[in-house]
Amino acid sequence: MPFFQKLHPFTVLSVAIAIVAVTTAIGNVWVSLAVIVLCLAASAFAGKILKLVALSAAIVLPAFASQLLIHGLASSGSLKLTAEGLSTATALGLRTAVLVVAGLLCALIIDRHQLVAAIDLSKAPPQLGYLVAATLFLLPQLAERQKIIGEAQALRHVHFRRGIVGWFQKARMQAVPLVLSSLEETSKRAPHLAARGFPANTRMSRLRTVPDSRVQRAIRVSALVLALIGPVLILIGLQFGAVA
Amino acid sequence: MSPNLILAEEHAGSTLRRNLLAVAGTLLLVATYAALVITQPTNLTDGLGQGVALATFAAYLLAALLLLAAVLPDLPVSTLTLIPVALALNILLGQFVGSVMVPLYLDSIGTVLVGFLAGRRAGAATGVLGTLIWSLFAPTVLPFAAGAALVGFLAGTAARFGAVRRVYLAPIAGLVSGVLVGVVSAPVAAFVFGGTSGVGTGAVVAAFRSMGDSLLSAVTKQALISDPGDKAIVFLIAALLVYALPGRLSHSYEFVRRYKVLGKRGAKQSA
Repeated sequence: MPFFQKLHPFTVLSVAIAIVAVTTAIGNVWVSLAVIVLCLAASAFAGKILKLVALSAAIVLPAFASQLLIHGLASSGSLKLTAEGLSTATALGLRTAVLVVAGLLCALIIDRHQLVAAIDLSKAPPQLGYLVAATLFLLPQLAERQKIIGEAQALRHVHFRRGIVGWFQKARMQAVPLVLSSLEETSKRAPHLAARGFPANTRMSRLRTVPDSRVQRAIRVSALVLALIGPVLILIGLQFGAVA
Repeated sequence: MSPNLILAEEHAGSTLRRNLLAVAGTLLLVATYAALVITQPTNLTDGLGQGVALATFAAYLLAALLLLAAVLPDLPVSTLTLIPVALALNILLGQFVGSVMVPLYLDSIGTVLVGFLAGRRAGAATGVLGTLIWSLFAPTVLPFAAGAALVGFLAGTAARFGAVRRVYLAPIAGLVSGVLVGVVSAPVAAFVFGGTSGVGTGAVVAAFRSMGDSLLSAVTKQALISDPGDKAIVFLIAALLVYALPGRLSHSYEFVRRYKVLGKRGAKQSA
């Protein structure tokens, strides 16, 4: 079993929350860069580095560009490039980058089935597990259906014009059948689920087990305590340092 | 008889607990917003700025989770099966808009659709859940969960008071909702991310900043330019999709029947 599969999904998430909270509180460029490098190393270990880099770049690069425009170029009341503005833009861009890279790493290394099982086994309402599971597994199905609807419209020789008119035409031809068929299915699914006793009033047994241990539980509690107390202590320390 | 085949008993204590959660979530959101608008912290990256970013992120996310905890146990099964479809539609139709280079987000069509069909509580829950699941693909949306909840809540409220009975009322309701959502979401964009995450919106914020506006003021103005138009179109599309549904389907939702969401149009459809 790969290393990350042995971890409880909540362990991964709580460690990520602690890392993001503490790194944001420290607010140091080098610490942020070190955390990003560590996340990339973890993704390389999991064999997901290319995917993480591509997904992160799609979010982080526009965010960096936006920070450069807002703080690097347009300081209050003028439109000029300043060293202070560039420093602010870099710090804010890295703050966003840490959140994005750590968050996406969690999404890539956590198994979706285990996440759903972990939510079901937790004290969260049973509806939450169903909603997360249904959405994650419905998404590829609806994407496939959207593709099939597009192919069916192409077979009918429907050509979409460019611009806003073409967009409305495409919305009508593709979105309407997709929405109607999805909602039709929904109305059929509801009585079946209700007949099977959903949402359950009592805890239901699950065949899938989620790997967990006493050590992992201790890590989770420590990480959440660190996420709550760590930033407060760091910020107090920074204030004292500034005063001194 | 199996306990699942009879209606679950409603305890007064659980209703009170859910109401308290909803009140706590709303108060936290309002208090955080008021504190940010009144104090308007200027330093974004030194000590206090980091604290403000973390506190804003945590408070907005916690408020959204409290609202979700208050609403989720109340939702009927028909609404619970509708929500995943709406969430998938948010993502798919959002991508579809991106693929045709139309400068709109339109990533809340599913949320508004649930608000129109199942009411404001279901709409708010869809908004929060949609953000939580979308954050698996784009973690930066996480602190905007409260704004997404507000979109669903306002869509349900608008439908309850007749905004879907006439086609021209839906975009007007969307416009008003867009203003409120833009104003509520602006502090998150300003104090957590220091502006916006897109180049186009960033350029608009930069333009306002260069004219002397504070960061919060510039981000709020940018949101007031983008959000009302976007929500007006989203509300209009969601209303047209509801009209396209067979009457049998739209009237299977208790909210639609109870508040006569479709008005005379609904009577014709179901006849």
